[in-house]
Amino acid sequence: MKYVLAGVFAAILVACGSGKKADDQAFLNSLDSVTTSDTAMDDALIEGILQGIPSPIEISVLLKHSGRKYDQTMLNSPDNLPKYNNNFKMALNLGVYGTDLGYTNIYEQNQDGIKYLEPIEQLAEGLNIGQFFEIETIGRLAANSKNLDSLLLLTTKNFNDINMYLSSQSRANLSVLLLTGGWLEAMHITCQLSSKDPSNKVLQDTIGEQQIILEQIILLLKFYESDENMASLLKDLTNLQTAFEKIKITTVYKAPTQEVVNGVVMVKDNSTTTVEITAEDVNNIKDLTAEIRSKIIS
Amino acid sequence: MKKLIVLAAFVLLSAFISSDVIGQCDAEGYSNACIPKLATGFNFLKSYKIDSESGAKDKIEFSYVFTKGTQYMINLCAGGQATDGLVVSLFDAKRNKLATSKVNGEFISAIAYPCNATGIYYIQYTFDGSATKCGGSALGFKR
Repeated sequence: MKYVLAGVFAAILVACGSGKKADDQAFLNSLDSVTTSDTAMDDALIEGILQGIPSPIEISVLLKHSGRKYDQTMLNSPDNLPKYNNNFKMALNLGVYGTDLGYTNIYEQNQDGIKYLEPIEQLAEGLNIGQFFEIETIGRLAANSKNLDSLLLLTTKNFNDINMYLSSQSRANLSVLLLTGGWLEAMHITCQLSSKDPSNKVLQDTIGEQQIILEQIILLLKFYESDENMASLLKDLTNLQTAFEKIKITTVYKAPTQEVVNGVVMVKDNSTTTVEITAEDVNNIKDLTAEIRSKIIS
Repeated sequence: MKKLIVLAAFVLLSAFISSDVIGQCDAEGYSNACIPKLATGFNFLKSYKIDSESGAKDKIEFSYVFTKGTQYMINLCAGGQATDGLVVSLFDAKRNKLATSKVNGEFISAIAYPCNATGIYYIQYTFDGSATKCGGSALGFKR
């Protein structure tokens, strides 16, 4: 009955909309792949978890601050775009390209960043979320490295708006894929850099700490595991999670202190975390990540 | 009888319109306004809408995975007086309270939190004598 009601509601929405016929079809297609028990509680839970996953931009900033040099060869080639011809691949690779664009932006490599605008635009159009990407403005900002802050702000805002929109349209499955693709690409870049600099503890710890985010992503994918593609991705990521299980993260809580400085509450965090991760762990995670990424981008 | 029906319809319509005006909360407007108010050097991550839904909710909570070595800033925006009684508090995954924007009875509009332990954190918004119970907030980060 729920599905009938959802179908009727979707039909009314489509009938009332002024969008193109292709938009309607894609909307219905995406509904076909929503196989979660569509209760309001599930939707709220999914949205809550999605909101909490950190932006891949944070990892790019970390890499730059840890002194890693820019390396374009690690990124997914914009030439791979024609390979992505269904919603599943389009959403995953929109996430991948989004992370790549963020990485080029952070390193102020505008000539490379601009190459990602067209594939991002086309994938977004294919998923009927093209209206959220201000491609012309992004292109204009990307042309000048002095606009970095505005560029990061706009791209982050665009991706946030997309996630909110997809959730509101009961298409959070696409949000989950977008986010998974973005996270995997950030993982891939970090693992590649770590393998070139095995003594870098910051990179190793960053990789180890990703087990917290992977856990959240797996939780999200489980809502959609009755879908064949989602189940396959979930299986791969669960396999990756096994490699993370060897890593031990110990947090020692100590009450923080705070004071008000210039109208801001400045907190001093007195807790600490230790990440126990070996070079072998990093290597396993790197290989598995590369394997999953290869399935996604090819 | 006809006059009575017209009067009743008028009363109902007035009540509907007035409750709509009182209940209006432009949380999205406030959250967008908060983004440029993040301190210099902080990169925007998320904006949060704080809407009590006409007082139906007494707290609103979001989670976010914070990363060790990163400093986060959470700010508050509301209509009227600075924070209009909006309070933001931060909790770790084990629900230890780490920070609050109400300090010695004073409402502060931003919290800066340098994270030492990667994990899930809870950003909780409450209303302390708030007139509108409506506002927005932005989360930013810097290394």
